Amino acid sequence: MAVLMNFMLFCPLFSAALILLFMRKRPLGAQVVSVASAAACLAALLYALFGAENGAVAPFSHGAQLFKLGDFAFDFGLMFDSLSANMIFVVCFVGFLIHIFSVGYMDHDDAKPRFFGGLSFFMFSMTGIVFSSNLLEMFVFWEFVGFSSYMLIAHYSANEDARAASKKAFITNRVGDFGFLLGIIWCWHSLGTVDFAEIKSLLAADPAKASTAMGLLVMCGFLGKSAQIPLQVWLTDAMAGPTPVSALIHAATMVAAGVFMMCRLGQIGFLTPGVLGTALVLCSLLAFLAGLWALGQTDIKKTLAYSTLAHLGLMGAAVGMGLFGIAMFHLTMHAFFKAGLFLVAGSVIHACSHEQDMFKLGGLFKKMPVTAVAALIFSLSIISVPYFAGFYSKDAILNCAFAENVSRGDVLSLAALVLIGGAAFLTPVYMGRFFFNIFLGSPQSGKASAAKESSAWMTLPLVVLAVFALGGAWGVAYGLKWSDGLMSGLLPSAATELISAAYAGKLEALKNVDGMHTFEMATLCMTLLALLISWGVYGRNKGVDPVAKRMPVLFGALKAHGWFDDIYDYYVGKIQQRFAALLSVLDLLLLHNVLVRGTAAVAAVFGEAVKRLHAARAYSYTRWIMVGIVVIFIILIA
Amino acid sequence: MQNFYEYLLMASVAVPLLCGCVLAIFPLSTKASRLTALIGFIIPAMAALFLWEAFDKALYTDSGFAFLTSSIFSGDLLPLFGLNGLSLPMFVLAGIVGLAAGLWALAQKNIESFRMYAGLMLIMSGGLMGAFASVNTLWMYMFHEFALVPTFIAMCVWGGQGRRTAAMEMAVYLTLGALAALVGLIMLFINSGSFNLIDMMQSYAAMPPSEAVQDFIFPFLLFGLGTLVSLFPFHSWAPRTYAAAPTSFAMLHAGVLKKFGLYMLLQVALPLLPLAAKNWAGVLAALALCNVVVMGLVTMAQRDVKMMVSYSSVSHMGICFLGIASMSVLGAGGAVLMMFGHGLSVALLFMLSNALVNRLNQWNMQWMGGVYSKMPVLACFFVAAILATIGLPGFVNFWGELSVLVALWKFSPAVCAAGALGLIISAIYGLRAVAWIFMGKADRRLEAAQPVYTDLTWQERIPAILLVAALVFVGVFPDTITSGLDEVFGSVRAFAVNIK
Repeated sequence: MAVLMNFMLFCPLFSAALILLFMRKRPLGAQVVSVASAAACLAALLYALFGAENGAVAPFSHGAQLFKLGDFAFDFGLMFDSLSANMIFVVCFVGFLIHIFSVGYMDHDDAKPRFFGGLSFFMFSMTGIVFSSNLLEMFVFWEFVGFSSYMLIAHYSANEDARAASKKAFITNRVGDFGFLLGIIWCWHSLGTVDFAEIKSLLAADPAKASTAMGLLVMCGFLGKSAQIPLQVWLTDAMAGPTPVSALIHAATMVAAGVFMMCRLGQIGFLTPGVLGTALVLCSLLAFLAGLWALGQTDIKKTLAYSTLAHLGLMGAAVGMGLFGIAMFHLTMHAFFKAGLFLVAGSVIHACSHEQDMFKLGGLFKKMPVTAVAALIFSLSIISVPYFAGFYSKDAILNCAFAENVSRGDVLSLAALVLIGGAAFLTPVYMGRFFFNIFLGSPQSGKASAAKESSAWMTLPLVVLAVFALGGAWGVAYGLKWSDGLMSGLLPSAATELISAAYAGKLEALKNVDGMHTFEMATLCMTLLALLISWGVYGRNKGVDPVAKRMPVLFGALKAHGWFDDIYDYYVGKIQQRFAALLSVLDLLLLHNVLVRGTAAVAAVFGEAVKRLHAARAYSYTRWIMVGIVVIFIILIA
Repeated sequence: MQNFYEYLLMASVAVPLLCGCVLAIFPLSTKASRLTALIGFIIPAMAALFLWEAFDKALYTDSGFAFLTSSIFSGDLLPLFGLNGLSLPMFVLAGIVGLAAGLWALAQKNIESFRMYAGLMLIMSGGLMGAFASVNTLWMYMFHEFALVPTFIAMCVWGGQGRRTAAMEMAVYLTLGALAALVGLIMLFINSGSFNLIDMMQSYAAMPPSEAVQDFIFPFLLFGLGTLVSLFPFHSWAPRTYAAAPTSFAMLHAGVLKKFGLYMLLQVALPLLPLAAKNWAGVLAALALCNVVVMGLVTMAQRDVKMMVSYSSVSHMGICFLGIASMSVLGAGGAVLMMFGHGLSVALLFMLSNALVNRLNQWNMQWMGGVYSKMPVLACFFVAAILATIGLPGFVNFWGELSVLVALWKFSPAVCAAGALGLIISAIYGLRAVAWIFMGKADRRLEAAQPVYTDLTWQERIPAILLVAALVFVGVFPDTITSGLDEVFGSVRAFAVNIK
């Protein structure tokens, strides 16, 4: 196992180094190396998963000391259990498909080696997060994914948006990491270890050792990486990067790493009820708000980005309710349909000469049938139409929120239920808006009329993802095992061990909740209603958003996405930057001019005075001697 | 060969000094002077790497120093060379940065009177090697002065805008700082009767001075040496000096010479004056925080790329001081890692920002833009250097910052949190600089300055590769340094929990 894990970790790193150092002028070679490394990682992973007995994951861990100073040590460890099996499957599988898609999407790009090198480096960092056996190691890879994200957002570096967005993404994440690192340091000092297994046994023996403040600090890392309130502002701007990057990093995997970390920490008992409650409030709030804000966007990628925020919020809410398995379930399904949706967006953008305004598109169903059918499947999956993959995971979260409210009956759980329900209601609205405007009606611009179906490099990954977005959850939901139990539906059993168990357990528990059946029917009707509303409002693409036309104030409010950016910009521009400038002036004025020059002036005056004393005139010396005698005399008397 | 390493150690100090003198005295041809300079830069670097490789616990003597030259010659006032786990990384740093600065100078075609320039650089680099290789504290100090004087001269002759004032200011500051440190050293000498660090340690261990005496001596060393390292509020010489200094000297000064103050504090002051060190830790932490936060914010306000790098280096010195103030093996070790990493990365940054300004004829970062597409290699190295300074894992600086912060938590969680603000602040100014300079489109004020877009030549890439390679190598294998640091700091009494 150690060999396989090391291979999966270092193969992409090797590929990235090879490309970035030696293949900067060989785009074809860079593509081949990068795709081959992604394929090799997927193959190694499948080998490992199918090698597991009866599809059950054998936990594995291994560590080696990398750094030691005084009483502090850093271990480089590898860890594999059902949670990492689940996450690494998402990373390798979706990652591989997106590598394939990129070959088609980036065909005209003149910086392919940089792009593919960055993609490989990202795969390395992401795999590292999943395999990390301790918090600090996770932090190291956490910074690495942050850097790969930065580098890939900045891919179109001459573009003003990319310039601002890459910087913003890194710095916002740094703010989160500030808390994350402090939390880790606190953990190291209070528990004496940052190793997951050791923390687990420590906290199992004495749960009181888990502290809410410490957990909240560590949670800052999640808020930054998974773009939750108040650090959500970077994700939508990050859409300035190439679309495959948005699909892989900013939808399917990296942003979900925060959820993965919370699940990891939740499983070992690190997150106290206080931390979970905070996560529940913040995440369900964003799940609802982001759904609203999505309606204020006309850019197709930004619409999807707000949808990602909303769904990350749902996952975070699941974590907040202590449902780590369910959160991972939704993460997995979300990876399929959201990566798919971004690839749809990529296919459309590529076909329509980089037109991203959905109201300038339209009528693409006939022109791009494969993309359109895939888009339909992804959309049905995300709005949780029964039997589609997204239905099972999202409904599980909704139903659990309902059950939580029934059992707890407090304001917090009611608010969470309302917000999560609102989020579920909004999904069909904005997804309908997305689908109707792009694929139905008639083309609204020359770019859209000239569209042609994308190449097989791009449609093939779409088709594969569409299959998974349709049937990805069947194995989990219905326990369809085949091939000696190694496969469970469409996924390897080892990868779904955690979520299958969690889903089955929840299904059992929810059966006995009063009114659950009614609630389920109500949510279905709600989805249908939302879809109808969406059709009514956005059904016809007339080249401009109907809400923007009829109710510009409302649209403006939606578009402002909570004025977070305005507040932060105000703080940075008017407070932080001015304060820095003031300090700079003070530094120059007080320290440099007054103190330093002042000291020099005092020295000069003193020197001048001393010079006067040595005037080489006898009577002046005599006078000073007299003065001296008088002074000494006075001192002696006193 | 008997005493091979000891001779190698002496050669690493003597060869650059000798080459420097040859260049300064004899009117060599251009070719010969370039060759002499190359020899003078390569030998100490190779020797340093060789000694690093050979440095092993097996070679330790009782005193903790390896390669002691006392077997070859000895005398209380003669220089005594040797390396321990603390001086070794600094010695290696001096070798690498010296070589990089030298190669950079050799790659430049337009340096006036190159012979003198290289000669001064060699004397400076010999002084640096000597300062870190000395076991005799007086000679540490003397070699430091050897390295300091060429900076003044070079600044006055080859410096940029505002060089006269900057050189004068720096001269006053650093001479006063060094003087205060010398007073402290002499007081240390009076208490032990020797300048030899090994003897001093023994006599101080056998008969430690009273707390009052320690408390009196320590501030001389702390503030004297602190001035050399631009401890707040004695920092204002640094930014203008570095902005005006010629490239290679800025690299050597900011990269290596500046670390001497910290080195002396760790090597001499803390082991000899443990009680005072503990008593002064609070003051030091407060001032160091000002370095990190206040100077960090001042860095954010800079628009001149060289000033930005200079202020950032002032700000990062705060992390080193915080590590020392934490009074722990981990913190002090982190400070050394930070010194090592910062030395390499800031040398690289000065090198690249000078190259940038010279090519673009523009110093204001806001007025640049789009340089990446014109000079991709320079851009990549610059980004690597910025990532190193903002503490991305994989570079040494990360281990330094991490260790210091972990150690600080025990000192005070609030100080730790305030120090960690430096992580955000440095990311802001670092990435903003990258965005301003390299991304977007060229500003019209850049076009008006008639920039010359020539990417780094191969000769110029070599020193950059050297520095990045060193940053990454130790970043991936920090044990190559930390094992020796553990050994040295493990026996420092100031770091013990209860020393009274």
